Amino acid sequence: MTDIPVIETRRLILSAPRPEDYPKFKATFTSYRARFMGGPLNDYEAWMLYAAEIGHWQIRGFGMWMIHDRETGATCGMAGGWQPAKWPEREIAWVIWPEVAGRGIALEATHAARTHFYQEMGWPGAVSYLDPKNYDSIRLAERLGCTRDPEAASVDGHDVVYRHPSPEKLRNSQTADAIELELQSFRGPIFGQREEATA
Amino acid sequence: MSLTPAPVLEAARLRLRGPEMRDFEPLAEFFADPERAWGFGGAETRPDAWRWFASNIGHWHIHGYGYFTIEMTDRARPAGLCGIWNPEGWPEPELGWLVFAPFEGRGIAYEAALRARAWAYEALGFTTLTSNILPGNARSVALAERLGARYERTYRNVTLGEDMLYRHPGPAELDADGGMEAYA
Repeated sequence: MTDIPVIETRRLILSAPRPEDYPKFKATFTSYRARFMGGPLNDYEAWMLYAAEIGHWQIRGFGMWMIHDRETGATCGMAGGWQPAKWPEREIAWVIWPEVAGRGIALEATHAARTHFYQEMGWPGAVSYLDPKNYDSIRLAERLGCTRDPEAASVDGHDVVYRHPSPEKLRNSQTADAIELELQSFRGPIFGQREEATA
Repeated sequence: MSLTPAPVLEAARLRLRGPEMRDFEPLAEFFADPERAWGFGGAETRPDAWRWFASNIGHWHIHGYGYFTIEMTDRARPAGLCGIWNPEGWPEPELGWLVFAPFEGRGIAYEAALRARAWAYEALGFTTLTSNILPGNARSVALAERLGARYERTYRNVTLGEDMLYRHPGPAELDADGGMEAYA
């Protein structure tokens, strides 16, 4: 069986999805929040999707991590790689539970996942398939340095393809600096103050 | 490579083992044939079949059981699937089976179901099992009855719609071979 690595960031721990992590996944995917991800799903569909998240790791050797808050251990969402049948390319994907949105968790987790795929698994790049009405995700893709790729094949014609910068392009880039700066800004109780004071 | 923690269970003519990637093509072929797959449900397209295959692997990791692949003792092409299925929304853990076209009519599902049921009772400690059968699936009804299961009720399945629930004899009602010969 595939050993699923654990990734630690400043505020988060990304680890294998476990059975006990399911409740908030279910709450999100059976709600209106899931409208850009094929939902809302019924109980059976949500459970089968969660089981498929676990199966995906075993089949592909990569997949979606469960995101945990370092302090509390609570789950915050999922981020990682996703390529079920019919996906033209390897996708970097994310979903954040609605109650923890707005704290830069998706950026921190997705950036860490992408760094792992680039540095540990040798990915030459990746895409994200986004609903054109999902402005929050499009905005996150742009913060991650993605640009829309109108030439790339989409999953089903209803999604738009955002292409991630390659590892070479990302290294020492303005995007990489901007991601670091933004993540630092989420650390202190007053955004940025603590970082500057100790710099 | 093994994708699940499933054990290997030996029977006279066949063995049950965890799903492997080489099982996907015959399973996708099965799902693509509506005449054969309607009684099983689960997947209408090839991407759906892939999702179902991935879900079954996750099912093993979540529950510690799921669908085995049936393999004849020559270990050539997979012959079908058989195992215990219990996604959220299911009325109870179910003993389920499907046999790929070239292997039909040889009692393979019967032998596999006996073996999987005995494993569920002995290794997992189940005290009862059901099989969910769509109205009109006479072949599965016949097999369920041959296994000693009895019709209990009709209910609405979360994904398949109107569905019949058959209840298997519990561990105490079975003979040493896992069958129902004492009652025949």
